[in-house]
Amino acid sequence: MPYVVGKPLKRKEDQKLITGHGHFTDDIKLPDMLYAAMKRSQYAHAKIKSVQVDEALKLPGVIAIYTGSDVQDKIKSIRSIWLVPGCDLIPKDRVPLATDKVNYVGEAVAMVIADSRYVAYDALDLIEVEYEELPAVVHQEEALEATAPTIYDDVPNNIAFTWKAGAVPEDIFVNADVVVKQRFYEQRVVANPMETRAAVAHFNPGSGELTLWCTTQNPHIHRMTYSDILGIPETKLRVIAPDMGGGFGAKIAVYTEEALVAFAAMDLKQPVKWIENRQEHFLATSHARDQVITTELAGTKDGKILAIRAKNIANLGAYLSTMGAGVPTIDFGLMITGAYTIPYAECETIGVYTNTTPTDAYRGAGKPEASYQIERIVNLYADKIGMDQVEVRRINLVPQGSFPYTNAMGCNYDSGDYQKVLRTALDTINYDELRKEQEEARKNGRLVGVGISTYVELCGLGPSKVAGAIGFGGGLWENSTIRVHPSGKVTIFTGASPHGQGEKTTFSQVVADKFGIPVEDIELVSGDTLINSMGWGTYGSRTTPVAGGALALAAERVVEKAKTIAAHELEVDVSDVDFNNGVFSVNGHPEKVRTFQEIAWSANNAWNLPEGVEPALEGQSFFDPPDFVYPFGAHICVVEVDQDTGMVKLKKYVCVDDVGRIINPLIVEGQIHGGIAQGIGQALWEQAVYSEKGQLLSGTFMDYAMPKASFFPMIESSFIESPSPVNALGVKGVGEAGTTAAPSAIVNAVIDALKPFGVVDLEMPLTPEKVWTAMQEGRNIK
Amino acid sequence: MKIEYTYKFALPKSTVWTYIQDEDVLRNSLPGCKSFEEITSDVYVAELGLNTGPVKGLFAAEVQQTDQIPPNSYRLHVKGKGKPGEINAIAEMFLEETGDSTEVACIAEVEVTGLLAAVGQRVLGGVAKVILGQFFKAAEKEMVKVIS
Repeated sequence: MPYVVGKPLKRKEDQKLITGHGHFTDDIKLPDMLYAAMKRSQYAHAKIKSVQVDEALKLPGVIAIYTGSDVQDKIKSIRSIWLVPGCDLIPKDRVPLATDKVNYVGEAVAMVIADSRYVAYDALDLIEVEYEELPAVVHQEEALEATAPTIYDDVPNNIAFTWKAGAVPEDIFVNADVVVKQRFYEQRVVANPMETRAAVAHFNPGSGELTLWCTTQNPHIHRMTYSDILGIPETKLRVIAPDMGGGFGAKIAVYTEEALVAFAAMDLKQPVKWIENRQEHFLATSHARDQVITTELAGTKDGKILAIRAKNIANLGAYLSTMGAGVPTIDFGLMITGAYTIPYAECETIGVYTNTTPTDAYRGAGKPEASYQIERIVNLYADKIGMDQVEVRRINLVPQGSFPYTNAMGCNYDSGDYQKVLRTALDTINYDELRKEQEEARKNGRLVGVGISTYVELCGLGPSKVAGAIGFGGGLWENSTIRVHPSGKVTIFTGASPHGQGEKTTFSQVVADKFGIPVEDIELVSGDTLINSMGWGTYGSRTTPVAGGALALAAERVVEKAKTIAAHELEVDVSDVDFNNGVFSVNGHPEKVRTFQEIAWSANNAWNLPEGVEPALEGQSFFDPPDFVYPFGAHICVVEVDQDTGMVKLKKYVCVDDVGRIINPLIVEGQIHGGIAQGIGQALWEQAVYSEKGQLLSGTFMDYAMPKASFFPMIESSFIESPSPVNALGVKGVGEAGTTAAPSAIVNAVIDALKPFGVVDLEMPLTPEKVWTAMQEGRNIK
Repeated sequence: MKIEYTYKFALPKSTVWTYIQDEDVLRNSLPGCKSFEEITSDVYVAELGLNTGPVKGLFAAEVQQTDQIPPNSYRLHVKGKGKPGEINAIAEMFLEETGDSTEVACIAEVEVTGLLAAVGQRVLGGVAKVILGQFFKAAEKEMVKVIS
């Protein structure tokens, strides 16, 4: 068997998916199934005076309508899972259906159950909700003003929390040669997976068992929460994540609609399905980013960064979502120093409630924001001291030989060579030549810009004891079980719930090499709380580092047991047995061999096992990593700005990433590409826009610019592999790397292109209008 | 959102001023008007069946006329409610004589909610102009009918 780890095998998942045989939540059709639709608020902030459902109930086909008062004593509110400690957090839980007051456009006020989806939607129009409109507040800085409307009586100034970390001695800023300060706005974006949210619930009144199929990145967290709020023991609640059309963080959060569907199925004793439409998705599924970050950097005039201070005013939306408090605090604040040796760092984050859709994790969750502010301020610093953006990075990047390196916030960067990724990227793109070309272009009136981003991110969440210390309401370990069937074929079970990341393939590659069996002999089962042992889900680039770490240990346990059985059959001591490429052998005795499949057969039949060895061949491991992993890299892009239109054209994009050991280069490259596309989407096109009164103005793909494949140049991606010491596979996680690196590379490049106009900074997204206006203003100043 | 629209009536200013606020003219010229009645002085309620772009379905509207400066200007306060959302508008109406004809300019500040806001915002300006165009054209026809 040739080794397959490190080989670009095609994904095992794809044949099923691309031939139309995927099985998504909406593909589930059960006898007597009913359909749910949600009546949603069209006001951002209003008192509910009455909800009239009589007319809607008369519509033929309508089975039931639930309002807030119908369910308020039956379904508990959904709490956030991440209650960050030490910041006076006032969590505001999501109510299943609004009763007295709505706090954002899209908040559900009633649920219709009908015998068809069409009837359910028609009935929504017949529900009359009488509102008394209240003044709304949308932007977090405005929400902090003394005159701003208060959303909750017990939340003064709409401040949900004030979180602080690190410390910078004041004299550093006072005495520094150079201080650079800039306000950045990480605009609000909406994760738009191809598949919107969906749920199907089936209740067995005889046994009291409830099965909930839903689009979740972490079925066990959903089971834990729904079990609590619906009052069903975990033993009777089965949550299944079938095939999923992406999540990108938006399907981490535990929402109310799925709980309502489950409740209705129990109440009506009939299965109920709910499929979110795209317009609902824009309103009701968590948004992300929306952080106003003001960063200050103190440095010497010859390029050494001394300290960094960041203040983040984060828009949490109307409620505290599942990971809402953790993203702008822990995820952001601990990584504000980026890939540099900066001795002092300080972060303050103020979480603010507003009359908008709650915000939560989105690919990168806090790290793209952290990376953006440091990568932008480093460039501003370089400009101020008249140094090239490359040189300032060379001076400050964590030097080779200092790993594990502990940053100013206490994070232990695990391994690698930060200077080398930058060097490699510069060589690949031929930086010096590029600068000459840029000069030439400028002479000819063309605006070419070169942008660099050297990033590091905190991934592979994470040690459970850290989870506990940072207020995360769960563990962050993972499990893997490897079951060897009598034929020697293998099923892997994992509690992490991959949904597009390709672990069916990568985990099979790992096990194929461990056992010396074909990849085709291995299947992965995930996403079902009845079948899979407890696990914490797929997010934070954790599945391969943590669940994969568990997998490697479980595989070793299987091999150990198989060796014992082989030694017994071969009548030698276990220490004399070698296992190589699927064959157990004894040195010097060529006749004494057993294949992996033969031992699988013996183990499962148990006719002749050694004393004290239990039947079957199965290995399990519950792995809690000792620390996080830290993928890093250097991304360089070249853009050209059209002087007449302000349009930004992407000319070239080179990235060199170190994501630890690579199991499948094809999948890793795909993750990098996808991440970059989403990062560039934020830099150039995407933004969720609200009117002053809290109406979402960008609620369709006509108004919310989703990137298309044709928008991008060929991404030139390469890798350097430094194994991580914190897991058995040496992997670091790759899912969020591109999203973390790309926005600052793009913006740095555009600002570089606009240098002749004296443009210092522009807020994302860099739309043609914004870029064009900046050029006009630049002209006027001159 | 600001919507501006100008229509030229081939009628004298006094005629336009008299009839553009006339109940019968309005009833007969408002697009898709199902009912129209004055409930108190200068306050009207109407039901309009509209079908242009996202503005689709039956809208219940309350219209109030204020600040009349005959025959030059007046102000309209419109509150409309339909399935796709609500519309609140304040429109300034200006009449100006140009030769034999009268130009009516409508400058409106419009707020919308719900689906109208999320889906319709971008096209709403265009839709409003289509509806206003239909209204003025029909109103002119009505005025000609009434005076002849």
